[in-house]
Amino acid sequence: MKNNKKRKRNTENDVKVNDRENKSVKTENAGKDGAAAADANAPDTKAPDVEAERATDENAKENTEEDVKEGLKGIKRRRLREWGEILYNCPYLIAVVITSAIVMICPGQTDFGAIRSEARSAIETSVIGGALKGRAPFEQVQKTGDGHENDQENIAGIDDDKTENEGECKGESGGNGQNNNEIKDNMNDNNDNAVNGDVAEENPINAENTGNSKGTIPEDAETEPIKGVTRFKIYAPQKIDSYYYSDAGKIALTTEYPYKKENISYFNDAAFLGDSRTLGISDYAGLDEADFYCDSGMTIFKILDPEGVTYQKTGRKVDLSSVLKEKRYGKIYIMLGMNELGYGNTDMYREQYRKVVEQIREWQPGAIIYIMANLHVSKEKNNAETEFNNININDKNAASALLANGTDIFYLDANPLFTDAEGCLNSELTFDGVHLYAKHYEVWKQFLMEHAVEATPDGQSAGTGNGTGATD
Amino acid sequence: MLFSSVGFLFRFLPAFMLIYLIVPAKYRNLILLAGSLIFYGAGEPYFVLLLMLSVLVNYALSRYMFRKPRPVQQDDAEKSAEGNTERRKSALCMALIVDFGMLFVFKYWDFAAGIVNSVAGRSAVPLLMLALPLGISFYTFQMVSYQIDCYRGTIDRPAGFVSFATYVCMFPQLIAGPIVRYEEVAARMQNRKIGVRNLENGLKLFTVGLGLKVLLANQIGTLWNTIMSAGAGSLHPAVAWLGAVAYSFQIYFDFWGYSVMAMGLGRMLGFKIPENFNTPYAARSISEFWRRWHITLGRWFRTYVYFPMGGSRRGRLRTAVNLFVVWAFTGLWHGAGWNFLLWGMLFCVILIIEKNTYGKRLEGTKVLGHIYTLALIPVTWVVFAITDMGQLAAYLSNMFGICTTGILAGTQQLMRYLQQYWVLLIACVLFITPFPTRIYRKCRDRWYMVIILLAVFWFSVHELIVGSNNPFLYFRF
Repeated sequence: MKNNKKRKRNTENDVKVNDRENKSVKTENAGKDGAAAADANAPDTKAPDVEAERATDENAKENTEEDVKEGLKGIKRRRLREWGEILYNCPYLIAVVITSAIVMICPGQTDFGAIRSEARSAIETSVIGGALKGRAPFEQVQKTGDGHENDQENIAGIDDDKTENEGECKGESGGNGQNNNEIKDNMNDNNDNAVNGDVAEENPINAENTGNSKGTIPEDAETEPIKGVTRFKIYAPQKIDSYYYSDAGKIALTTEYPYKKENISYFNDAAFLGDSRTLGISDYAGLDEADFYCDSGMTIFKILDPEGVTYQKTGRKVDLSSVLKEKRYGKIYIMLGMNELGYGNTDMYREQYRKVVEQIREWQPGAIIYIMANLHVSKEKNNAETEFNNININDKNAASALLANGTDIFYLDANPLFTDAEGCLNSELTFDGVHLYAKHYEVWKQFLMEHAVEATPDGQSAGTGNGTGATD
Repeated sequence: MLFSSVGFLFRFLPAFMLIYLIVPAKYRNLILLAGSLIFYGAGEPYFVLLLMLSVLVNYALSRYMFRKPRPVQQDDAEKSAEGNTERRKSALCMALIVDFGMLFVFKYWDFAAGIVNSVAGRSAVPLLMLALPLGISFYTFQMVSYQIDCYRGTIDRPAGFVSFATYVCMFPQLIAGPIVRYEEVAARMQNRKIGVRNLENGLKLFTVGLGLKVLLANQIGTLWNTIMSAGAGSLHPAVAWLGAVAYSFQIYFDFWGYSVMAMGLGRMLGFKIPENFNTPYAARSISEFWRRWHITLGRWFRTYVYFPMGGSRRGRLRTAVNLFVVWAFTGLWHGAGWNFLLWGMLFCVILIIEKNTYGKRLEGTKVLGHIYTLALIPVTWVVFAITDMGQLAAYLSNMFGICTTGILAGTQQLMRYLQQYWVLLIACVLFITPFPTRIYRKCRDRWYMVIILLAVFWFSVHELIVGSNNPFLYFRF
């Protein structure tokens, strides 16, 4: 398509010449089409530039005569030279076109993959993209399951059957049967709740749910003494035409668990992995003893890269994988997902998150892993036309919350502390609609202290029986 | 649609250029108009109707201005000429009322109503809470300039409808300028050719603008963001100044980048869109700064407000009054808010002082003028940037060492910011000097420029994909 464009343009440049010449040339060069005749004249225009127009006009006649003398072969040579000169005159244009074409055509997952998908027409995206999306995540989720996570979520189903529902950050709680079939709670013991939409009514996302998230012990607790439950608030999803995300139709809530309130020393053996918002916690929450590994723009895809992430105590880049292999942490807090909103899609995010958590689990068998919800953005920043919006954030959050098992992986949602009635980040708490003002991190710190899972002496949370790590 | 978006770069632009180049020259204006409306409509599906409506009304009025009565007899000629002037005047008035009325309703109604209500002490005037149509300040000013030029006779022949509509709606400059005058594009509107060279150089220029926007403005913008997120009021003076400098860089590269992209696109389409910036931060006084910053807006106010009021030729007092009016309007043009008014007034005061005292002498100095300008500019941009008056006061006092609430972002944070941004800051400093432009002009056709620009292009695209959002600052206006 792109090459075509170039050719067309050249032809176009010569259209005028072409018209003038056609009459005289036609007789001599019978059987040759107009464009060819035009090309034959072109060498005199050098670059068929605006300024060159007049010169072409004057030389036109001479040219024709030369053409006749030279014969067909000479004309061909001329044409080649002409093409060469055009190419010579716009190397940059050609370079951009060719590289674009390569990016468009080349398979493989690079950062530029998004161009391909965004430049694809909407129809293509919905047809091909929808079909492709259907399977993969389903398989991934099954792999994830470690016994507790019977994730029955049928993503293909969500893609196909989404009801068109107007609604901003959150829709009404979905009580209709269609949605209930698709969206299940990830804990099998409270499927009933989810199906009836009870969770949604009991736990409105905006209410302070720190209170009612405590003390709920699931019924099958005999096998394992205390196990947290991660519930979802269900609503009717709307149809999203985006490569990056879909409306999950559910909002993940803080894992229900009898959390302890701890003091600040709880964070002495904690590590925080995250992006610019975690940087905010590092800067302003006053958790001086904790280790922060974060950078603006950090993503779940890059966090374990050897290129590293900044260790805030020294300001140096470190390779997190080697750090986690060496050092023992009692708690690891992860909050990543904002910079993934427009990078890859939720399925890739979910898969990568799972990999990272599994990897960390392997290196830090004793640590409690807290998956922290990404904070929503403000109403002003919540843009349904781009991928930068709260539906996408919820989609990412719900994907990461699936990893919470209630024993040594917990999901913490601080959003209720900071969001308004519509579920958007309260505009008064933020300058840019994304990051909290420094003074509000205190609230967040309190939230984290109130949501502490007691570590047993061997560094395990009460429920787990595996792992050998010890905190230092 | 943003110029710096994957959708524009890889979907709209190639498709549009392909069609634009294929169609015969006489249909190009029509294609450009249609393309521009699609471009605008993609972001503003409803306001595109408003745009079309106001183009129609303006066109009708301008034609009405040009309608020539045919004097039947000799003695009627004088009479009809009189009637002619009368009609032209009324047409112009109508056009101004329609254009500024629309701008007022959409942009200033709520601000004005707020003032009226607070004066009256009750809600006497209802708030409309209308969304601001994208680019309304720019296209309104462009249409007004056309009407006034018609009235004055600068434009002696009326434009055809498609030409006029294309002039207003042309997508390179529709939403964030430059504010082009019709005479600048009139000739090319009728007859233009697009050569390979134009496409090549236009694309190069576009890439430069894209790089300025994505690789400089967006990046340095996060520093300003970080500092503002620490919260105005709790900043160490050095941090506050660093933030102000960061914002000064951001707004310059953002807007300059946009203007350069517009120029590049204009050239690709066969037009010549005027320069909007001429290294403003290298100015030696604030007056000079404004001759180099947003040139087309300054020109608009000079031509249609300042000069008609007498400019600076009616004595010192009158000059001061004229400057006051111009700067009040310039401030408000940038936004309906007290801080914008304050911002305009700040410039008004500085310019009056400069005009009457040290201005000329300062421009003659080699170093002092630069220091003076570079010290004042960040302060003015802070006034511009922070719309909340309480926060603005807090930030300004932070800049001058007054901190009431306790410092949250102190030297520790400062070191981290510098550590993280020093490369970028140096790059920004380099790019406010005239040298990069000079070097670019000199080496534009060299082979290595292709490689550099290609790298800039793909690096920018990469940043666009990886980074989540990148609004243009000047889209607000």
